[in-house]
Amino acid sequence: MANAMLHQTVGSLQLLGNSGIHGEVGNNPVRLFPKGFKVQVGFSKGGAYSSGERKFSSIRASASQTSVVDPVLSPSNNDSHESRKKSNEAALILIRHGESLWNEKNLFTGCVDVPLTKKGVEEAIEAGKRISNIPVDMIYTSALIRAQMTAMLAMTQHRRKKVPIIMHNESEQAMAWSQIYSEDTLKQSIPVIAAWQLNERMYGELQGLNKQETADRFGKEKVHEWRRSYDIPPPNGESLEMCAQRAVAYFKENIEPQLLAGKNVMIAAHGNSLRSIIMYLDKLTSQEVISLELSTGIPMLYIFKEGKFIRRGSPIAPTEAGVYAYTRRLPQSIVGYNVGPLARF
Amino acid sequence: MATAMFQQCIGTIQLNSCGDEWGSCKKFRNYSLRFISRGFALDVRLLTKGSFISSRSKLHLVHALSSHSSLVDPVSSISDGANDHQKNISESALILIRHGESLWNEMNLFTGSIDVSLTKKGVEEAIEAGKRISNIPVDIIYTSSLIRAKMTAMLAMIQHRHKKVPIIRHTESDQAKEWTRVFSEETERQSIPVITAWQLNERMYGELQGLHKQETIDRYGKEKVHEWRRSYDIPPPKGESLEMCSQRAVSYFREQIEPQLQSGKHVMVAAHGNCLRSIIMYLDKLTSLEVTTLELSTGVPLLYIYKEGKFIRRGSLVGPTEAGVYAYTESLALYRQYLDEMFQ
Repeated sequence: MANAMLHQTVGSLQLLGNSGIHGEVGNNPVRLFPKGFKVQVGFSKGGAYSSGERKFSSIRASASQTSVVDPVLSPSNNDSHESRKKSNEAALILIRHGESLWNEKNLFTGCVDVPLTKKGVEEAIEAGKRISNIPVDMIYTSALIRAQMTAMLAMTQHRRKKVPIIMHNESEQAMAWSQIYSEDTLKQSIPVIAAWQLNERMYGELQGLNKQETADRFGKEKVHEWRRSYDIPPPNGESLEMCAQRAVAYFKENIEPQLLAGKNVMIAAHGNSLRSIIMYLDKLTSQEVISLELSTGIPMLYIFKEGKFIRRGSPIAPTEAGVYAYTRRLPQSIVGYNVGPLARF
Repeated sequence: MATAMFQQCIGTIQLNSCGDEWGSCKKFRNYSLRFISRGFALDVRLLTKGSFISSRSKLHLVHALSSHSSLVDPVSSISDGANDHQKNISESALILIRHGESLWNEMNLFTGSIDVSLTKKGVEEAIEAGKRISNIPVDIIYTSSLIRAKMTAMLAMIQHRHKKVPIIRHTESDQAKEWTRVFSEETERQSIPVITAWQLNERMYGELQGLHKQETIDRYGKEKVHEWRRSYDIPPPKGESLEMCSQRAVSYFREQIEPQLQSGKHVMVAAHGNCLRSIIMYLDKLTSLEVTTLELSTGVPLLYIYKEGKFIRRGSLVGPTEAGVYAYTESLALYRQYLDEMFQ
C-alpha cells in the first residue's frame, strides 16, 4: 500500500541521482532532496502544526540501503546502521516530578522516599499529555517513587503503546525473574532504568525538618546558603556540586551513549539532579545553575544531534495550537503514529 | 491541656484503683466514660446514645498500662503497637488490596514477575480502592517490589483521611539507608513506613512471561496451560507453582507481617492475585482445592480483623458514597468518628 508506493519513490530517486523529485504522497506535495546520501522529507503547510488527521510518512535513505522504515523505529534500529549514528537525531525529554506529600507540608525532602500528592499525580498525567507524541525508547528515573510514578503515569498518556518495563538487577533472582520470553514482546517494550545517581540532592540533617523550623534553628542566611549555594552542603548532606557530580557522571556514562546510538530517552527525576544535567547540556556556569528553576510537570525537550544538545523548550499541551516546530524528524515521527500500515503500536 | 488532665486521671486511677476520681474526667468531655481496668490495661468504653454520629466533641481513647501511663492521641493509641500487654485486647486491621489492570493485562500477555506498570484504568482502580479504605487506620504498608503494587498503595493512600505520609523504606545498600534518613521525630511519627518485599511479588511465570495467552494455548495446548494456571502444584517451565508462591508469601507474612498485627499495628498489604490468595489461604484456612478457585477482585480491598491471634474476615469495604451499615468493629468505628471530627 503506502509502503510499496514509497519504496518505488525512493527507488526512483536513487536512479535519478542528484535532481530533486517532486511528487505526491498521499494528499500532500512532497519534495525529496538528496543530501549526500540522505534524503529528507520536507513539507510546507499553513505554518502551524495542529493535531489533525493527515497522513505522512518520512523517508530516510542512506548509502548502504534504501529502507522505508517505521519512523518510530528508525531512530532506534541502530544495531545494523553504524553509518547512521552520527546523522541521527535523538530526543531527550526531561521531566521534573510534581508535588510530593512533603512539599505540601513544607518539609525538606531530599532523598527521603515520599510519594506524590493528588496534585503531583495530575501534574504527571498532564506532563504525559504534552509528550504523548514524542518517541521514547528508554526511560531513566531515580530510585525514588515520586519520579518513577511520574514516569509511569506520564506514559499512560503516550500514544505509542509500547510498554515501559522496569529493569531489576538487585540480585541474581531479580534478574532471573524478570526474564521476558517473547521477542515480539521485548521489541514492544521500553526499558525503564532506576538509578540512585538521579536521586534528588541528599539534604542530610535537614531531611524531614520543617522549613520554617530550620530557619528558626540555624538562621535564615545559613539555610539560604545551603539551599542556594553551589558548593556548601547542609550537615551530612550534599552540595549542589556533589549532586551534579554524580548525576552528570551517570548521564555521560549511561544516557549519552543511548542518545548517540539514536535512542530517544526520557528522564524523570528531581529539581537538583535535572538542573545539574541541564548545566551540562547548556554549558551553564555555577552561578547560572543556582538560579535555574525548573517547572514541575512541564517536560523539557532537547534534541541530541551530531554530539550537540539543542534545547527545544517545553512541548505544549495537545489542546493548544501548535506553532512550535520541533524538528523535521519529530513531526514525521508523530505522524508516523497516524499511519495505519506503517504504525507499529 | 487535655494531656495534663488525662495524665492526672490515669495517675489517679492507678493510685485509687478505679475509685471515684474518674469522675473528674467527666467534665472534660461531653460523653460519659467508664474506666474499666482489666488486669493492667484499661479500656475506654464509650457510651453515647447508641449510634455513632459525627459531632464536634473531642474524644480521647486512653490505654494505660502498668508500666507507664501515657496519654496519646487516639490515632496512635489504637495504633501504638509496641505494648505486649495489649496483645490480648487490641484488635488490628489488615487490609489486602489486589492491584488493578496492568499494561500487559490489557494486552493479554502473561505478566508474572515482570515489572509492568498500571494502565489508566488500573490507576483509577487504585484511587477507588483508596476511597474505600479512607477510614481504616493504617500504620504500616507492605507491598511487593513491583511498581504496579507500589503505585496502587501510594495512589490509595492519597485518598486517606488521616494525612499521615507513607515513606518507602530503602535497605538495598548502606548508602540507601543513610540517604533516606529522616531527622525529625515529629515527622517520623506522622509517617507510615512502606516495606517492599519480593516475597510478595506475583507468582513467577517462567517461560510464559511475555507470551500472549492465545499464543501459549496454541503452542502448548489448552489443557496444559489451564493446568499451569489453575493447579496448585504444577509450575510452568522455569516458573513457580501456586504452591511455591504460597510458600514464600505466607512465610513472609508469618515472619514479618503477623508480628506487626500482634503488636497492634494496622497493616495494609498491596500485592498481586496469587500471593494474596496464598495469604488468604492461610488466613481463612482454605484447602488447596479451595484456593485454586478463589478469585480476588482487583481494586476492591478486603478487610480482616486480627484479634486474639485469630483472623476474622470482614469482607469488602464499601465505597464512601454507599450508606454504611456495615459495622466493622467498635474501635474502627471510633477511629472513623475521630477522623470525622478532625476534618469537620
